[in-house]
Amino acid sequence: MGPRLPIIGFAAAMAAIPFIPGMPPFWIVLLDNIGLAALVAMGLVLLTGVGGLTSFGQAAFCGFGAYTTAVLTTAYGFSPWLTLPLALLVSGLAAVALGLVTVRLSGHYLPLGTLAWGLGLFYLFSKLEFLGRNDGISGIPPLAIGSFRMIDPAAIYFAIWTAVLLCAVLTINLLDSRTGRAIRALRRGHVAAEAFGVRTPRAKLLVFIYAAVLAGLSGWLYAHFQRAANPTPFGAQAGIEYLFIAVVGGAGYVWGSVLGAAIVVILKEILQSYLPYLFHGEGQLETIVFGILLVALLQLAPTGVWPWLTARMPLKPNRGRPDASPALPPRTRTPAASDVLLQIDRARKQFGGVIAVNDVSFDIQAREIVALIGPNGAGKSTTFNLITGVLRTNGGTISVLGMKIDNAAPQEVAKLGIARTFQHVKLVPDMTVLENVAIGAHLRGKAGALASMFRLDRADEAKLLAEAARQIARVGLSGQIDALAGGLSLGQQRIVEIARALCVDPLLLLLDEPAAGLRHLEKQQLANLLRELRGGGMSVLLVEHDMGFVMDLADRIVVLDFGTKIAEGTPQAIKTNPDVIRAYLGAAA
Amino acid sequence: MNAAPGTLLQVSDAHIAYGKVEAVRGVSLEVAENEIVTIIGANGAGKTTLLNAIMGVLPVSGRVSFASQDMTRLEIEDRVAAGLSLVPEHRELFGAMGVEDNLRLGAFRIAKTVAATSLERVYTLFPRLKERRRQLAATLSGGEQQMLAMGRALMGAPKLLMLDEPSLGLAPIIVADIFRTIGELRQSGVSVLLVEQNAQAALQIADRAYVMELGEFILNGPAKEVAADPRVAASYLGFA
Repeated sequence: MGPRLPIIGFAAAMAAIPFIPGMPPFWIVLLDNIGLAALVAMGLVLLTGVGGLTSFGQAAFCGFGAYTTAVLTTAYGFSPWLTLPLALLVSGLAAVALGLVTVRLSGHYLPLGTLAWGLGLFYLFSKLEFLGRNDGISGIPPLAIGSFRMIDPAAIYFAIWTAVLLCAVLTINLLDSRTGRAIRALRRGHVAAEAFGVRTPRAKLLVFIYAAVLAGLSGWLYAHFQRAANPTPFGAQAGIEYLFIAVVGGAGYVWGSVLGAAIVVILKEILQSYLPYLFHGEGQLETIVFGILLVALLQLAPTGVWPWLTARMPLKPNRGRPDASPALPPRTRTPAASDVLLQIDRARKQFGGVIAVNDVSFDIQAREIVALIGPNGAGKSTTFNLITGVLRTNGGTISVLGMKIDNAAPQEVAKLGIARTFQHVKLVPDMTVLENVAIGAHLRGKAGALASMFRLDRADEAKLLAEAARQIARVGLSGQIDALAGGLSLGQQRIVEIARALCVDPLLLLLDEPAAGLRHLEKQQLANLLRELRGGGMSVLLVEHDMGFVMDLADRIVVLDFGTKIAEGTPQAIKTNPDVIRAYLGAAA
Repeated sequence: MNAAPGTLLQVSDAHIAYGKVEAVRGVSLEVAENEIVTIIGANGAGKTTLLNAIMGVLPVSGRVSFASQDMTRLEIEDRVAAGLSLVPEHRELFGAMGVEDNLRLGAFRIAKTVAATSLERVYTLFPRLKERRRQLAATLSGGEQQMLAMGRALMGAPKLLMLDEPSLGLAPIIVADIFRTIGELRQSGVSVLLVEQNAQAALQIADRAYVMELGEFILNGPAKEVAADPRVAASYLGFA
């Protein structure tokens, strides 16, 4: 298949390198170091580049992997292979402990937090008696298969690069899946992701653990490569360098980590070996030149060298069309006791002294389109956020089919069949329309991270993508299905949000200014779509300023002004209501 | 292609591309002094892209001249100083700064004495902003934010004000206010280039109009004639 071919080619080339006659052993050592660094940087690609969680502390997780095998093989005589799962487990558990604290931090505090424990763990490693304090642990046995002992750098080379390639494929698989989309939404669209059932704290912890396990694997390999472990390579300095590698290669790209590792390791080596000749051994000069070169490189390729390179290649991504045949099961609709789908009873929200929503009550029946109108700042979007659990109420109740839902988490509200769009579009700009819309079907899939990594999720994934493609066709955006969401016009992005909401198979659709930025013909198409959805049993609550659109479409209108409901009724009644004309419609209506 | 007397902005054969995708393909456009010109068109037609390119936010191939001066190589801030100003689609206010500080930033390239009169003018145009001069921009309602974005652009005493979807997301009563203000601007000698989905309101206020589809102008002329064109009537105005 297309996308696999370059990877197989790369693997074959890497496998052939040690057999090139006259290949200097020193180069093989260099390649070993590149592979080890690439593994750590690959974790950072997921954590930082994709997930948006900057970590300076990844080197410490290498330490957990390295010291685990060092202690177990030297003090307890474990076989190196037996320590591999244990090393990964220890790094993973360390990540759970540190991650539970760290991922709660936001903004500048998160990278500072990682720097703090990166520094702290270095001193811990160098003070603990059983880890050999500053001297570390030596005499670690080499990896061995039968009588083949991987002492030679050219022997462990295969172990290292098998690990790199395997992890790259697993990581790419993970990113291209239900879980992967949730991870990719973390950085720029977590509010929207939560509205479609993604448990973002869990997803953050997952990438944190994943990155740590990759670092632990690198550490385990490093220990058996060097046959020794001491604290220096696991300190904060190394942690900063790994982040650097990921950024130079392209922090958002899996192969960027391998390229970045190659660039940084080789550049450092060249400078260290040749600069002293040029400048007669003036110390530390290479560090300065290294810094200058890297700054220059980032000027040339600000998002990293990998995307800079691929943009110059003629290859176009070959996007497969999702298989249209399998369908997701529709939501099971339990016959409701009453026809009232959503009931808002004296809902109240205060921001400091400002009452944004002041004891507002209204209902939405099954198969009904209700419009919420009012001047800007009247509390319409706040009402949406109260219904969907983005904000907590200060009073009153909100119920769905007779069940209280006020202050339920957004994920729980989504499960009940309430899907929404946002006033300020919240799509992941560097994901395609198809991928963005598929996030809407998150709760209807079940494949987890492990299944995705080993491609056991394909049946589940095909259904999700087919559902997404169906909803995209329904809103009339099939022509843009593979376009990056960030490249669409604002009006189209709003329509993408509607398709994403439809993927929930909702009972109630909440639309925040869906017609804004659409021209007349597109508005008519949207109105027809909403009528069709109502015909199919769905209810719609919409905030909209286009009165022609609203009056034509809505069964009932609720008017808010300064957080208070000032009128409710049919479009005809609202149009002539003097309070509404004064507060909102003006003389024009 | 010499500009007719009174031509303020002249764009000739503009091509604008995002990577390999060409979003605007060879369009030419003129705005005269004291004129309101509107560009209407479907979503993704390239209207916002064109405005951004005229402002210098996006690179453009082709010629952009303003007040008989070639703009093509000028940086954004120099275009502002030359009298060109854009109110972007997302308004892009400085939310953590007060209303008056936002306005004063709009006069960054203007002499202090001129800025003082600009401020008075903006407050006369938008009395609501004066009431809220100490309030943080982020805490304003949507309509007030649009007024502030327009006010900030007017602080630099522009000759041409470009507005990208000024009525987006605003209550009808506010929209009427915004359009009334646009009319007043012309009387005070400011030309307006207006991109707007509310085609009906835009064609009512404009002198001339361009209709954009898939990166090209398919129609242009006096606003009344454009409004009467059957294609426009059907897909933008809603009466055939």
